Amino acid sequence: MAKRAFQMIDFLLEIGFEEFPPHFLRPAAEDLTEKIEKLLKEKKIFHRSVRTIYTPRRMGTLVLGLSRRQKAQIIEIQGPPKKFAYDGKGKPTDKLLGFMKANNLKPSDIISKRTKRGDYVCGKKEITGASTEDILHDNIPEIIKSLEFPKTMVWNQERVRFPRPIRWIVALLDKKPLRFEFAGVQANRYSWPNQHFSFKPIRLEKPREYINFLRHGGVIVDPNERKKTILTRIKQMADKAKGKPLYDDDMIEEINCTTEYPEVILGEFNPEYMRLPEEVLMTVLQAHGNVIWINDTNKYIYVFSAKKKALQNVQAGYSRVMDSRLQDALFYYQNDMKRGLQDMLNQTKGMMWLQDLGTLHDKVVRLKDFAGQFKSLTDVDIEVVKRAALLCKADLLSEMVREKEFTSLQGIMGGYYAKASGESEPVVKAISEHYLPRFVGDRLPKSKPGGFLSVTDKLDNVVGAFLSGNRPSGSYDPFAVRRNGYAVINILDFHAFEVSLLNAIDKMLGLYNRKFDTKVLFEFFNERLMRYLQDKGYRYDEINAVLATWQGNVADARKRCEALKGFRDRPEFVKLVIGQKRVRNILKDLEKVATVDKGLIREPAEKALLKMGKQVGSEIEALISQKSYPEVLILLLKMRPVIDKFFDDVLVMCEDKQLRENRMALVSIINRLFLQFADFSQIVIEGEKAQR
Amino acid sequence: MKKIHTFENVIINLKQFWQQQGCLIFEPYNSEVGAGTFNPATFLKILGTEPWNVCYLEISKRPRDGRYAKNPLRFQQFYQCQVIMKPSPVDIQQVYLESLEYLGVKLKEHEVRFVEDDWESPTLGAWGLGWEVWLDGLEITQFTYFQQAGGIDLDVIPVEITYGLERITMILQDLSSVFDIKWNNSLTWGDVYRQNEIEYSKYNFEVAPPELLSSLFKSYEQEAERLFEQGLVYPGYDCAIKCSHIFNLLEARGTISISERAKYIGRVRALANKAAALYLRGKSG
Repeated sequence: MAKRAFQMIDFLLEIGFEEFPPHFLRPAAEDLTEKIEKLLKEKKIFHRSVRTIYTPRRMGTLVLGLSRRQKAQIIEIQGPPKKFAYDGKGKPTDKLLGFMKANNLKPSDIISKRTKRGDYVCGKKEITGASTEDILHDNIPEIIKSLEFPKTMVWNQERVRFPRPIRWIVALLDKKPLRFEFAGVQANRYSWPNQHFSFKPIRLEKPREYINFLRHGGVIVDPNERKKTILTRIKQMADKAKGKPLYDDDMIEEINCTTEYPEVILGEFNPEYMRLPEEVLMTVLQAHGNVIWINDTNKYIYVFSAKKKALQNVQAGYSRVMDSRLQDALFYYQNDMKRGLQDMLNQTKGMMWLQDLGTLHDKVVRLKDFAGQFKSLTDVDIEVVKRAALLCKADLLSEMVREKEFTSLQGIMGGYYAKASGESEPVVKAISEHYLPRFVGDRLPKSKPGGFLSVTDKLDNVVGAFLSGNRPSGSYDPFAVRRNGYAVINILDFHAFEVSLLNAIDKMLGLYNRKFDTKVLFEFFNERLMRYLQDKGYRYDEINAVLATWQGNVADARKRCEALKGFRDRPEFVKLVIGQKRVRNILKDLEKVATVDKGLIREPAEKALLKMGKQVGSEIEALISQKSYPEVLILLLKMRPVIDKFFDDVLVMCEDKQLRENRMALVSIINRLFLQFADFSQIVIEGEKAQR
Repeated sequence: MKKIHTFENVIINLKQFWQQQGCLIFEPYNSEVGAGTFNPATFLKILGTEPWNVCYLEISKRPRDGRYAKNPLRFQQFYQCQVIMKPSPVDIQQVYLESLEYLGVKLKEHEVRFVEDDWESPTLGAWGLGWEVWLDGLEITQFTYFQQAGGIDLDVIPVEITYGLERITMILQDLSSVFDIKWNNSLTWGDVYRQNEIEYSKYNFEVAPPELLSSLFKSYEQEAERLFEQGLVYPGYDCAIKCSHIFNLLEARGTISISERAKYIGRVRALANKAAALYLRGKSG
């Protein structure tokens, strides 16, 4: 018996389902393995290795070299104090004998132990561990149930939620299946092959057969091995085609999550389609998952998951589908080119934009007029922006972009059509970039005119949505107003345009000629800006401090936050903040600030402060206009000893009214210096209660 | 000699296959629908808890997809074979694959791929999870486990399998254009439908009268409401179906803006939701 306990066994868990959403697969499979590993560790069950398994139709864990039982544990049971356990002659007392009997202990199990409360006797006892089988049986269903997914469904009356229906479960411990049921499926020893190979189940006697038996069934269960196969096959094919395959890690992972048995074909389309813009080619090819374009050629690689025998049919099928799609695309493209951008622009007059807010043409004219109000900007060519603004939505009337599968090329197609009609390179670039960023984390427009046009368009989207009663609330945001608002801020920061956002909102509203409470929009953008700055890694109190005195320039706000962040851990900075909080309290009830009467300045500390204030004041102004914010902070920090001395030596709230008001005036001069940078009193220092 | 899988044989064979699976063999709806899902044999019968297994041909009208007979794969009208099994059998995916083999698709010589596709019909307030099924890269089937219909969570989950019959036949006959598929041994699909495609494309895109259609929409909408008030589910739902097709025509004409579009969809959905609720109430009462 004892010997058997040391024999190692293996465990296989495989959950079989209908084709899983590829993006959910790997995280779930890894989570499953982690949870099983954690269970084994917690329950002190020895195991040599753990492997994660997944294919589109299964996920699981293969554990090799498990012990049959939990490790035996030695526990100590505390008995009576030693002085009551033995009599004067060292013999066990009745108390000790009773303790031994109650716990089934032999004399050799008894030891003495020193504790804080004196010496005690203890009984040592070995507890045999529970069987691995029982532990797995009791815990595996719970583990499967605990897996989390972005989107789930129900499929039978058990109403268990999972991304796709679970159709089988293999739970094999050594030669024995664990008997449990999950989602109406009884765990057993039958796995299922690739459906292109067979419809017959695969009987497994023991877990070690799994990998090879499944391979014969057209399934490479190990994702790492499959990935290697995929990469090798792609390389072989690309070498054959003498070209460079265009792919990234995400594409390979997606292929890995959609194939059980990767095979490849080299496909070719009619070279006539090479006339299509690269983005169109890519869109057509990638609309069909698992297709990799061989750069600058009319060739592509497709990774499929069937028998090698299917190769010819798959090749013929793909060339049929690709040619038909590319033919469609070329047809649209040529029609659009013939028609020209101007004709599309004219058609925007007949296309409504948002309810009651005019046509698409009204919109582009508004974008152009808006840009026209920023001629003073030195770093962006506003004439380029104006031209691009007028043309930027015309491609929505092109045949290409009106097709559902090419809608994602809006802007990009506009760029091509603009180029064909002789527009300048910067105008073309601005048109093709102006939808960026299209989603959270997407790239931003690189060119300045592109960036400015994107800001203009998105600001208009936000204002338009608010005016038409579509402001976001809760999960209601049909026009993606929040994302548009965030992008406006992101681009303003990225290109550091010398634009006040608040002023821009006013200007845009002015172009609509409608009554609307500007405050609502300010609040919306303020909230977006807070979120943006938080995402950039600033703490909310730093953001509050900066926004309290903000003039509307986004890039400037971020720079100030950055400076604050860099200084906030310095000990003297904390004192500075405490000082500012004091100042705020003193000035709290002050309604009107008087000017300082030099004649009333008496104390040396007062004089020193006034002198310093004047001197530092002009320096700070210069530094702020250069946006040298760390230097501003250094200067402000330098003032601290003088300020401290002032507060130590001088009583501001003195009895004498004249004197008091004069001192308050002095304090508010200093305060204004600080406020030019930020409201330091908003910074939360340790020990102080957080306030939002 | 190679056996020719004619279009009509594909239809007959599929019906036969699903008859053997216990499906009632039904017929198409008698008014224009955008998909077999609109047929009351799907939309209403999937509500509630009674088992319902059915297979029927549906002529799906998609005015926007017409191409004046110039594209080998796109038309303003498709033949669908619609299968509903409620509750969904545990081996349904394999049964579906067997149906392809029954038609003559040898799985060992083709690739059948289930591509994640969460299906949604905003006009029917219905959605489900499932796949597009690709045969050698061509989409031939939509395979969906419904979760909701008419805005109502389903008590028993049905599976919907919708075959695109022209495309499957095209692959079986190893052709590149649907126009060339043999309907029977003497006529092609093109012989039967080419002129129909050209004329309907012209009608849908150029000739259909927007004002008349808008007013018809309104009339059918009002009629649906009136019939629902009198508890007449099927006639009322029929008016909702007519609204949906009229909306599709208006959309093809390109005269409705993005925001108007959303409103039209919302109006059809409101009717469909009412029909569903009323249908369930009638069953429980």
